[in-house]
Amino acid sequence: MFEKVLLRSLDVPESQDLSAYEAAGGFKSLASVLANHSPDELIELVKASGLRGRGGAGFPTGLKWSFVPKDTEKPVYLCCNADEAEPGTFKDRALMENDPHMVIEGILIAAYAIGAATSYFYIRGEYGVSTERVEAALAQAYAKGLLGQNILGSEFSHDIYVHRGAGAYICGEETALLESIEGRRAQPKLKPPFPAVAGIYGCPTVINNVETLSCLPHIVERGTDWFRSIGPESSPGPKLFCVSGQVKKPGLYELPMGISMRELLEDHAGGPLSDNFKAVIPGGVSAPMIPGSDIDVGMDFDSLAGAGSMLGSAGVIALDDTACVVRVAARIMEFFNHESCGKCTPCREGNDWAAKVLRRLEAGSGQREDLDQLAFLCAGIFGNSFCALGDAAAWSLGAALKHFRYEFEQHIDDGECPFH
Amino acid sequence: MVHVTIDGIELDVSEGTLILEAAQSQNIAVPTFCYQKRLAPLASCRMCLVSVENMPKLQPACATPVTDGMVVHTASEQVALTRQSMLELLLANHPLDCPVCDKGGECELQDMVFEYGAGASRFRDQKRVFRSRDLSLNQVIIFNANRCIQCQRCVRICEDVVGAVALGTIDKGMDSEVTGFENSLDDCDHCGNCIEVCPVGALMSQPYRYKARPWDLVETETTCPFCGTGCQLTIGARDGELARVRSKYETGINGETLCVKGRFGIDYIDSEQRIETPLVRRNGALEPASWNDAFDAMRGHIGDQSDIDGRRIGGLASAQLSNETLYLFQKMLRTVFHTNNIDSSNRWTGGIYDELPGLIGGLYSRQSLEEVISADVVLVVGSNVTDDNPVTDYLLRSKIRQQKNHLFLASVRPSRLDADASACVRLLPGDEAVLISTITNRIFDSRAGTHQSGVESLAEFSRQCAEAVKAATTVTVLVGMDFLRTPNAKLALPWLDGLIRRLQGSGKAAALQFLFDRCNQLGAWEMGVLPNHLPGWQKNGERLFEQAWDVQLSSDPGADIHEMLRRCAAGAMDCLYILGSDPMSAYPDRIQVENALSSADLLIVQASHHSATTKLADIVLPGAAFGEEAGTVMNNEGRIQSIRAFRPPIADTRRNIDILTQITEIFGGNFCGYSLGNLKPEHVFSEITQLVPSFAELSPANVAEEGALSRRAGYRDIPQSSALPLPSSVERTGQSNGKLTLVTGDCGFHSGYASEHSATLSGIRAEAYVEVRQSDCQAMGFAQGDLVKIRSPHGETTLSIRTNKQFPPGLAFVPENFASQHLNRLFKQGEFSCLVEILPNEL
Ligand SMILES: Cc1cc2nc3c(=O)[nH]c(=O)nc-3n(C[C@H](O)[C@H](O)[C@H](O)COP(=O)(O)O)c2cc1C
Ligand code: SF4
Ligand code: SF4
Ligand code: SF4
Ligand code: FES
Repeated sequence: MFEKVLLRSLDVPESQDLSAYEAAGGFKSLASVLANHSPDELIELVKASGLRGRGGAGFPTGLKWSFVPKDTEKPVYLCCNADEAEPGTFKDRALMENDPHMVIEGILIAAYAIGAATSYFYIRGEYGVSTERVEAALAQAYAKGLLGQNILGSEFSHDIYVHRGAGAYICGEETALLESIEGRRAQPKLKPPFPAVAGIYGCPTVINNVETLSCLPHIVERGTDWFRSIGPESSPGPKLFCVSGQVKKPGLYELPMGISMRELLEDHAGGPLSDNFKAVIPGGVSAPMIPGSDIDVGMDFDSLAGAGSMLGSAGVIALDDTACVVRVAARIMEFFNHESCGKCTPCREGNDWAAKVLRRLEAGSGQREDLDQLAFLCAGIFGNSFCALGDAAAWSLGAALKHFRYEFEQHIDDGECPFH
Repeated sequence: MVHVTIDGIELDVSEGTLILEAAQSQNIAVPTFCYQKRLAPLASCRMCLVSVENMPKLQPACATPVTDGMVVHTASEQVALTRQSMLELLLANHPLDCPVCDKGGECELQDMVFEYGAGASRFRDQKRVFRSRDLSLNQVIIFNANRCIQCQRCVRICEDVVGAVALGTIDKGMDSEVTGFENSLDDCDHCGNCIEVCPVGALMSQPYRYKARPWDLVETETTCPFCGTGCQLTIGARDGELARVRSKYETGINGETLCVKGRFGIDYIDSEQRIETPLVRRNGALEPASWNDAFDAMRGHIGDQSDIDGRRIGGLASAQLSNETLYLFQKMLRTVFHTNNIDSSNRWTGGIYDELPGLIGGLYSRQSLEEVISADVVLVVGSNVTDDNPVTDYLLRSKIRQQKNHLFLASVRPSRLDADASACVRLLPGDEAVLISTITNRIFDSRAGTHQSGVESLAEFSRQCAEAVKAATTVTVLVGMDFLRTPNAKLALPWLDGLIRRLQGSGKAAALQFLFDRCNQLGAWEMGVLPNHLPGWQKNGERLFEQAWDVQLSSDPGADIHEMLRRCAAGAMDCLYILGSDPMSAYPDRIQVENALSSADLLIVQASHHSATTKLADIVLPGAAFGEEAGTVMNNEGRIQSIRAFRPPIADTRRNIDILTQITEIFGGNFCGYSLGNLKPEHVFSEITQLVPSFAELSPANVAEEGALSRRAGYRDIPQSSALPLPSSVERTGQSNGKLTLVTGDCGFHSGYASEHSATLSGIRAEAYVEVRQSDCQAMGFAQGDLVKIRSPHGETTLSIRTNKQFPPGLAFVPENFASQHLNRLFKQGEFSCLVEILPNEL
């Protein structure tokens, strides 16, 4: 059985408490970093570990850090992205609820590497328990001198502020998140300049996901070779998979990156509720669905990209053969339509239009030309939207149409949903 | 330089050039909605997507800088299809109610669809409808959210350029709606720039609502008659009637912006207060008369040329008239009335005219504002730019935000620009001298620290400003109206002169401009509408003019307005000729001016509107208003620009130049052989170009296009005395015994006394008020909106009180724009600020 690292304390009572975290060896990595590593050495260490961001895009973490200008006179900021709003995703929440000190230690290690004296912990508004536990953990850490001035007697000082979201999915997009922290309307901003150069208040800012940061204490503690020994060469490390949908044992699984989707769903999650998987969405609803016949694919960034989808947030949503793909596609589009920030034309107008068409198709009142409209909308949105939200909406709809066109046609021809 | 290829055309452009700009330079059209030259790129509409080789996705041309070797295609099939898609998407929920939309015919969405759109739409669902009736956001703005395409041009211009931050967007996705706080813009500037930049019929002008279709309008390009910024505007007239005012994209100093006065205030020319026929006082009452009656009455009073004693006659003209009118006015006074008693403002305190020739003739930067405000350090002294010259305020804000150069702001009142300043300080009127001297000494010498400022904030501000100036290579000083109005102006001007010279002497590029709140103050002075100088700042008695005008000119030094009024009151004046000015409302010391005007034997007032001054006149000559007479004006940059007529003078009114020429003829003068009927403003202009060095070699054609900068030419250099006395700061003792310092000036909605006649502007703000610091108001026991009595040693007036958290303690401001307020009762002659008490109204 794969050793749980990130979820090691899932069954430990009061694991959110500092004493429990310390009992498990917590904050030793921080102490060792402060004592033994220069920030540059730390960046090199993380580069060498091969750690890639767990927020969705899989960007190499050490490389991202190295973009922060070295000679800047401006303050440098770190943001911990805990907005986790991708449907089907609940891994960051588990980390914050069960092991908030692990996230805090990760933040401190990252902050030390990039030279940040301040970080913002941006927590999804609906995450009440997470927020309480993170705030309690921060108070404990301050009381113990793990935060604030001269941490553990070193030269390094750091403050963490919690900022709660107000319910918009787009706030998870890094530039919109920065706008939100600044108190502005949360909409993505033009890049370049990239946040690492000009982020919060125009100052260099690194944004990392909760899970990404949580890997850091372990990389420091056990070394890069250990980390690289898990999973494929190009995207190593332990990984949290959020399995939901029509499986027998939905839940959160920590497994090696690159595990095959079949193994994840059949061996760990107990297989489909009905006889077969019809389709699997591997990385939250932004990720295009893969037909049930194609689930012999590695659950890592590159393998899933090769299969025409993405690992995304590793929110694995399984559909068995009783599921109605039209209904699923319609629900997903309702989500994107609701969450479109409204900035750019294709996403704002296109998602609304597509949602109207899908509603109609689901109800059985669609026509053949509606499928042309959807094809037109996918082409009009994909690649043309300002940020990845629009792209995701079109991409996921495109996959449903590509793999399950006959289900859409069936709805049109029958004048009703064949499944419900 | 980087090398790019666009649609097969190779070109080199400077680094940072946007694909859009590079394409435009080759006349390759790239359609845009959200792009606007003066706004930071948003790249949200996706209309401008073009394909770039080796880039996986199409790129927004409006936000993508070219890189070396880049190959761009704007005409590929993919690009054309994408444009079509964006338009189809935008039209999906657009109401397509073009037949009832004010924008129809000049709508960017219509034009784009016509040019790039597909013939038909596939959308067959219910359209989104925000509301079925248009929403009135304030008196000038009405909003149809259904038509909005979310380009955010309105929001961005309001925030980044106007600085008002009155508009925002609420909700998200398809529900995104642009609006003001609680669906109202009642508290905004009403500048209408959001309307102007709106590409569709979403934000619309209320005064223009359903008045005309664009193709029914005859458009006339002209220059705004209000402040000295000199914005270019376009009057749209339907059947000769004023229908609207617009500003045009990237036209004039103002680009596409105007302030509320320029955009909505021009309707003052249609006020019921227009004087439609000549009036002559008979048996104590002013009665309508024919022009001949009026001229006869003049002749009856004045007699022949030979009867005229130039010392007993004088003229006052408004600095809002054209160069041509002002030139003819002073020429008439000098040649047929043999007098140098000429002035052009009620507001300057005496003594500044000796200092001006060196400053304005010699040092003044006749240069685009855009250039001068690009300096490393821009110091603004004595102006509330936001109220006095709103578009100058916009330009400053945009510049400072983009270029991050330093703005230092020293003014009496707080303003919106404070937020963008590196430092600001509140002065009392009269402190300018001590400020400039302190800064000068800090920059240049040893005496630093020995000055007697006494006011800490002023010392600290001077220190910071001096440090920035020392580090700068280019420095600009912009000087406002408050500076020229205080009695200390004559102390401050030599220091200003010295500062600029010494900066230049030390190898820095130092620029100086004034921020006049009247559209042609600079022109009025250039035209010789001041006592001791002929046109072009030439000394009285210059032979050149005697030859050109074929007369012997008076060698009398001439009197300014203060002296003229004194003489009137003393019975030493036979005739005062007032052109377009209203000293009864504007001159500080109403009692005195009333006395003086009533004591003149003959008061002639030539004006377009009734005023407190016309009421006292013996003869009233109705002149054309703005828009009814062509000519030129000179803005604060020293740029000569055209004003044009969009209709003939109304009723029995006449062009000002015709009236002046006829009077000149009546009294035996002539005007270069041109006489009534064939005189054109160009004739006057060409005489000006021959006699005024700053106008030399300009032709009306030069001016007509984009305006022409006058030149700095042939002025006497006044030697700078090295040891100027150190001024000391204004006494602040009055404030300690419960008194406030009262200042006046333009408020944001009005300019001078003309704008009060605008139905639109008066609809927005019809009454004066007194503005004080919030805590002062509380300490005095008043609440916002209370009626209070303001009392000075000279008079009192009743007003409602307004609070402002940013106001400095002890300051009270009342806008001067409301004639019926008789604010000038409170001031004594020569006073700019005065000490007042604010008392409960019942007392
Ligand atoms: C629409 C949208 C929503 C996103 N939401 C999240 C989120 O909830 N949490 C997250 O960590 N990253 C989210 N991301 C990705 C972030 O923009 C960013 O890439 C990530 O936080 C970087 O962290 P990492 O490098 O550690 O992965 C989102 C991206 C997009 C386009
Ligand atoms: S794709 Fe456009 S509208 Fe959609 S969320 Fe991103 S920026 Fe906003
Ligand atoms: S009128 Fe001017 S101040 Fe008011 S919302 Fe429009 S741009 Fe802003
Ligand atoms: S109101 Fe007009 S300018 Fe403003 S966002 Fe809508 S379309 Fe653009
Ligand atoms: S004009 Fe370029 S995206 Fe709008």
